[in-house]
Amino acid sequence: MAANLLEVDNLKTYFYTRSGVVKAVNDVSFTIKPGETLGVVGESGCGKSVTALSVMRLIANPPGKIVDGHINFNGEDLLEKSTEELSDIRGSKISMIFQDPMTSLNPVFTIGYQIAETVKRHRKDVTNDQAWKRTLEMLDLVHIPDAKRRAKSYPHEFSGGMRQRVMIAIALACNPQLLIADEPTTALDVTIQAQVLELMKGLSQKYGTAVMLITHDLGVVAGICQHVNVMYAGHIIESASVKHIFETPAHPYTVGLLQSIPRLDEHHGARLTSIPGQPPDLINPLVGCPYGPRCPKVQARCRKEQPELMSVGRGEQVAACFYPD
Amino acid sequence: MSIQDKNTEMNDSGELLSTAPISSPDQYLHENPLYVDNQEKKPDQQKSLKPFQQSIRRFLRDKRAVISLGIIVFLILLTIVGPPIYQHIGIPYTNDAGKQVGPEVYHNPFRHDLDFADKPISARFWLGTDSVGADLLARLMQSLLISISVATAVEIIDILFGVTIGVLAGYYGGWIDQILARITDVMFAFPGLLFAILLTGIFGPASDLFLDKLPIIGQYGNARLIIVSIAFALTSWPMMARYVRGQTLQIKANQFIEAARTVGSSDFKVITRHIVPNLFSIVIVASTLNIAGTIIGEAGISLLGLGVQDPGSSLGLMIAERAQAIETSHPWEVLLPCIVLAIIVLAFSFLGDGLRDAFDPRSKD
Amino acid sequence: MIQFLLKRLIGLIFVIICVTFITFIMGYLAPGDPIHSMMGQHFNAKLYMQLRHLYGLDLPWYQQYFNFLVHILHFDFGYSYKQQQMPVISIIATNLPVTLELGFWALVLQFLIGIPLGILCAIKANTWIDTANMGTALFLYAIPVFVSAVFVRFAIAQIDQLTGAGWPPTGWGDPWQYTWPDIQTKLAPILIFAIGGAAYIARLARTSMLEVLRQDYIRTARAKGLRERIVIYRHALRNALIPLVTTFGSSLGFIVVGAFFIENIFNIHGLGSITMTSVTGRDYPIIQATVLLLTIAIVLGNLLSDILYMIIDPRIKAE
Repeated sequence: MAANLLEVDNLKTYFYTRSGVVKAVNDVSFTIKPGETLGVVGESGCGKSVTALSVMRLIANPPGKIVDGHINFNGEDLLEKSTEELSDIRGSKISMIFQDPMTSLNPVFTIGYQIAETVKRHRKDVTNDQAWKRTLEMLDLVHIPDAKRRAKSYPHEFSGGMRQRVMIAIALACNPQLLIADEPTTALDVTIQAQVLELMKGLSQKYGTAVMLITHDLGVVAGICQHVNVMYAGHIIESASVKHIFETPAHPYTVGLLQSIPRLDEHHGARLTSIPGQPPDLINPLVGCPYGPRCPKVQARCRKEQPELMSVGRGEQVAACFYPD
Repeated sequence: MSIQDKNTEMNDSGELLSTAPISSPDQYLHENPLYVDNQEKKPDQQKSLKPFQQSIRRFLRDKRAVISLGIIVFLILLTIVGPPIYQHIGIPYTNDAGKQVGPEVYHNPFRHDLDFADKPISARFWLGTDSVGADLLARLMQSLLISISVATAVEIIDILFGVTIGVLAGYYGGWIDQILARITDVMFAFPGLLFAILLTGIFGPASDLFLDKLPIIGQYGNARLIIVSIAFALTSWPMMARYVRGQTLQIKANQFIEAARTVGSSDFKVITRHIVPNLFSIVIVASTLNIAGTIIGEAGISLLGLGVQDPGSSLGLMIAERAQAIETSHPWEVLLPCIVLAIIVLAFSFLGDGLRDAFDPRSKD
Repeated sequence: MIQFLLKRLIGLIFVIICVTFITFIMGYLAPGDPIHSMMGQHFNAKLYMQLRHLYGLDLPWYQQYFNFLVHILHFDFGYSYKQQQMPVISIIATNLPVTLELGFWALVLQFLIGIPLGILCAIKANTWIDTANMGTALFLYAIPVFVSAVFVRFAIAQIDQLTGAGWPPTGWGDPWQYTWPDIQTKLAPILIFAIGGAAYIARLARTSMLEVLRQDYIRTARAKGLRERIVIYRHALRNALIPLVTTFGSSLGFIVVGAFFIENIFNIHGLGSITMTSVTGRDYPIIQATVLLLTIAIVLGNLLSDILYMIIDPRIKAE
């Protein structure tokens, strides 16, 4: 079996605020294999973005801090690297694209410039002409028509979907091994969403890029991921192949998520199912299972002990629950 | 003169980081730029206060603004009750002609007596005297009275005109808006002080002759203050109108305005009930900062000799009287009004900044 | 973009016409009869009529205004009331370069000091550097220029006494000459003039930079692996400077007004001081001319900053 591309062990990222310490990522461990597409799912505030930013070491300090854990990329711990080494890695070995394409590009530089900039930063021996050629290649790759002309245009001349493609072009320009995509399609129209996801899937397959796709939309996950982590309250509460997650979800939260998706074929008048209760308090986490207060199957044990991820008997599927399905 | 850049809206704080504590982790995470999780606002777990009360709370947390407010209130009180009280404090003395001279005389700001010129701080003259023997404290209070009066007059006109026209321009748009834009463009070419120089320069002496017959004005060049006030008012209302117009446009875009309209409220009602109350914050902030500018402006005009005339008092005049001779003697007579002016202006500036931060916390960093 | 420029130009012409009109009307409505006071003792009805005709004062107001405009286009501001037969333009000619020099350096220094300071404070936000500088800046910006000028003059005098340096606290050397004695007289007024504006610009630059540093595209730049230095000085700075360009126009307004005070306190014979002398002397044509020149300068300054803004921000260019 190939060695893992990314191994995150016991990652803890906390934010120190005046109201207290927000434990945004509270002991998270997962792996990504080369070329694999991992989906990270969860509601707002569950820690999925913070996990991604932690891997990129882009957490603002203060007030955030990675307090514990290891982030092993290609066998090396990113937490021990210097700023210089990290800046070498970002953009060339691990790239990230963000949620809002409207604001993620610098408005005063042309998009061609912004793509070429990445190339020139990470490939010192490349001439300006070669960098520009690569830029045009990337634009073609992400299906931006009339690349030569459009490369000299400014971000505000592009639509949201096209800007996100430009972001992908920037991210993949140096052929990274891992692409982290933080809610890349949330801000886009549904039809454009599909296009962008198809693009990402195609490129990942063609170049063997591993993808960590963060989203709150299970439909997105179904389309392109092979493996899924479900997060809640700063923990991973289930991890399984996409097939198992959809067909045989184990954790009650995952079950709840799937049930709450409205379906086109529901009969008229059916009520929408939602998960009752409040989102968890990240400053004062409860003793026991974080999902306990909202869980329909909660027992006494759930309130006293916090469950670790354990096998549910179906292949590699694990869930942090004492009473999984 | 306070600088008002026509393209800079009210958020030019450049202010130090707010001392307001973050009320909830969600609020923090929502505002932290590098932590981008798809946060929705969680329900506010504290008991919710009306926005106005929240603003007051925020304001009270800004110590500098509160202290400034205290200083301003103190100075206003001083100006109003100070002179009568001061003129009763003090022991009468006997002058050369054998007459008794009491505090109501020697604590009078308009009194000249060269026997007591340039005296230092003493029990009789609490802040000393100036080059013609007038008590400096009395003159100071008189100067403050002038400053406050001019500032108040200007601000009243500023608010009346600025708000009315601004709201109309913002609400109706069209030709009112166009005219406002043209007027603002022209007024921007005339900084307040320049216009005041122009007006007082040309009409000043004449006004002295004609207007001093009016009751309150009296002599001492106070008539020119009317012209000065007009000049400042004329040059500041366009700015206020612009702020109000901008704010009106923002409010108008809100859905509750549409709701009110669909229910059938008349324009007048919509404007007075919904829009104007929401203008409160921006008007307060703009006014406070404008007052600071007016006070500086009045002092400046008087310093140049175009405002209050001898033996009247103005902060600017008090500075000018000794400024040229500052190398030779009596620096205190110049430094005192300078310090007082600096304090007032700083107080109004801090107050204005504090009010702005209280009403619109997003404008700080 | 051409349409925008054209619109702006039309607006500009409108403003200038209004400005000239206002200045003209002030002169026209000015109380007192200049011919009368000019003639003083030698009042003679026939000469009075002749002089009135000579000065064009017997024409209706709109014609006077038209003549006024025409003359201005030829840089002819008429003749002084007090100094007969002296064209206003030649009276002003000696003072104009002085104020130009004073204003020029003050303006330049404002930006040269203010922008780097503001950017520095933004980068080191909330450290003692930031707090100290911004605190001082707030202070310096709020204090009116004439107050700080008085303090400085006082300080110079005191230092002269203590050290015997003999630094002249007032006066101005030769315009645009920079020998040591020239610098001695010019340094203090220019510095103190610039300091208030520099404080304002520093605060603005800091806010602007902080705002830019919060933006998503800065995060993208870091995620691309760009070094921090490049992120700040290439990506952030260019965006942060855009709003600062628009302050150029209002800075000019500040300079115009401040010049009056600086010239007054430091005994500098520039446009400001000649205006004041004309005020006391009721020499209206000179007042008109100087006010007109100053306001036109401000209007042109605003136009310049609008143009600069358009050039720098590609988002506007496209419209």
